[in-house]
Amino acid sequence: MKIVVNRPRCEGHGLCEEAAPQLMHLDDDGELVLDREEIGEADIPLANAAVRVCPVAALRVE
Amino acid sequence: MTDSAPPVSDLDLFDDEVLVDPYPSYAALRALGGVVRLPANDVYALTRYDVIRDALGDWEIFSSAGAIGFNPAVNEALSGTSLASDPPVHTRLRATLTANLSPRALRGLKKSIDAKADALVGELVAKGSFDAIDALARAFPLEVVADLIGFTGHVRANMLRWGQAAMQVIGPMNQRTAECFPIAGELYDWCSNVTADDLAPGSVGRGIFEAEARGDIPPGTAGHIIHQYLGAGVDTTIASIGNIVALFAAHPDQLALVRENPSLVPAAFNEVLRYWAPVHAWGRRTTRNVEIDGVLVPEGAKVAILFGAGNRDPRHYENPDEFLVERNPIDHLSFGYGPHGCAGQGLARLEAHAVVEALSRRVARLVVGTEVRVPSNITRSIEELPVLEVVPA
Ligand code: HEM
Ligand code: SF4
Repeated sequence: MKIVVNRPRCEGHGLCEEAAPQLMHLDDDGELVLDREEIGEADIPLANAAVRVCPVAALRVE
Repeated sequence: MTDSAPPVSDLDLFDDEVLVDPYPSYAALRALGGVVRLPANDVYALTRYDVIRDALGDWEIFSSAGAIGFNPAVNEALSGTSLASDPPVHTRLRATLTANLSPRALRGLKKSIDAKADALVGELVAKGSFDAIDALARAFPLEVVADLIGFTGHVRANMLRWGQAAMQVIGPMNQRTAECFPIAGELYDWCSNVTADDLAPGSVGRGIFEAEARGDIPPGTAGHIIHQYLGAGVDTTIASIGNIVALFAAHPDQLALVRENPSLVPAAFNEVLRYWAPVHAWGRRTTRNVEIDGVLVPEGAKVAILFGAGNRDPRHYENPDEFLVERNPIDHLSFGYGPHGCAGQGLARLEAHAVVEALSRRVARLVVGTEVRVPSNITRSIEELPVLEVVPA
């Protein structure tokens, strides 16, 4: 499975980072960086939590 | 199954009593179904959390084009704005709107917003008694937005009524709407005629005109962008800050939790937004027949999204009628969700977090008198909230 960011839609609200700091963070410019794109079974709930809290639906897991 | 019609209720969403306290009506509608037909308003109301969130995420079926307001004149007036467009047009408009509003763009403002909130709250605490709505909930966002856009003088003096009217006219064509159209028109006219020179150098407003001059955004759009910031961002933010004060006053134990643990500031604001949604109802139109929770909503139906009803849905939040800052309901519906999810939420958070922080640092308890509410079509806010005594921290 992997996490996919819809870049044009991502506005850097950073709520995903609060939900899943192990998987992603905002860099110094406020750009979202995925620390791990490919995720294993164990991280799926965490990734889904990040998807869920993004206020503009810019993330998905596929 | 798919052809069964939604339940019907004779509730009028824009009745004065419902507007002042919609929560009993929301509960009654939610109990009837996730979607309920309201002949009084000629709409299908969405009432349950999952139904609302799914609809907000699905612009292909729940279109915003000509559909977000509850009277034809306002839908006509809003046509061509990001609020009232669907992708792909919406995607382009939204990018120009958020270029100046995203948390990235606003980072430089945090310090000055925090300092403003702290100074204002400090002054009010020293005073000991004041009206929380006038002196804080209105004064603070109006100052922030004036500095942000860079306006002064008569514009500043008018912004409260202009901002209120811009939301009021989104309601059905009742007396409130009719009275507010000319006032909303004053805001529109000002935004249509304002030029870079009218705005303070270095302001975000001035920056939008500079972007237009550089060709980064289409000619003639700077004024429209500013109009959207002011129309969508003034009255809602004022409501949410008034709600912060009222809910902390009513729940001193919850204020104490934030005082003990300042990392709860964002969670507290999420809970304030969940508990009392600043926006009552917002429209969409279905582009085809759609089955929702086992009932059929026909193509072309007008839909009313009740954010506040979804926020109190017991199917989604445990004990939804309790105000609990530790709940941290990060997925509340008060900013909407998905493609149209509030473009100004970064700014709203900056302002509200600054207020919550300042209050929790400086105030142990607030003693308040009776809050006054007046019915208003779209924004649900407190009109007066006398603070009689501040017990300082
Ligand atoms: C607590 C304060 C606020 C609340 C509760 C709020 C609520 C909302 C909601 C519910 C929507 C979604 C509308 C829809 O789905 O069609 C929205 C959209 C929007 N808001 Fe806010 N808002 C707030 C503050 C602000 C501020 C401060 C600004 C600007 C400075 C702003 C600008 C906008 C804009 C431009 C949109 C349209 C976005 C689009 O269509 O893509 N809002 N807001
Ligand atoms: S929450 Fe959504 S918009 Fe915000 S940084 Fe994460 S992906 Fe981007």
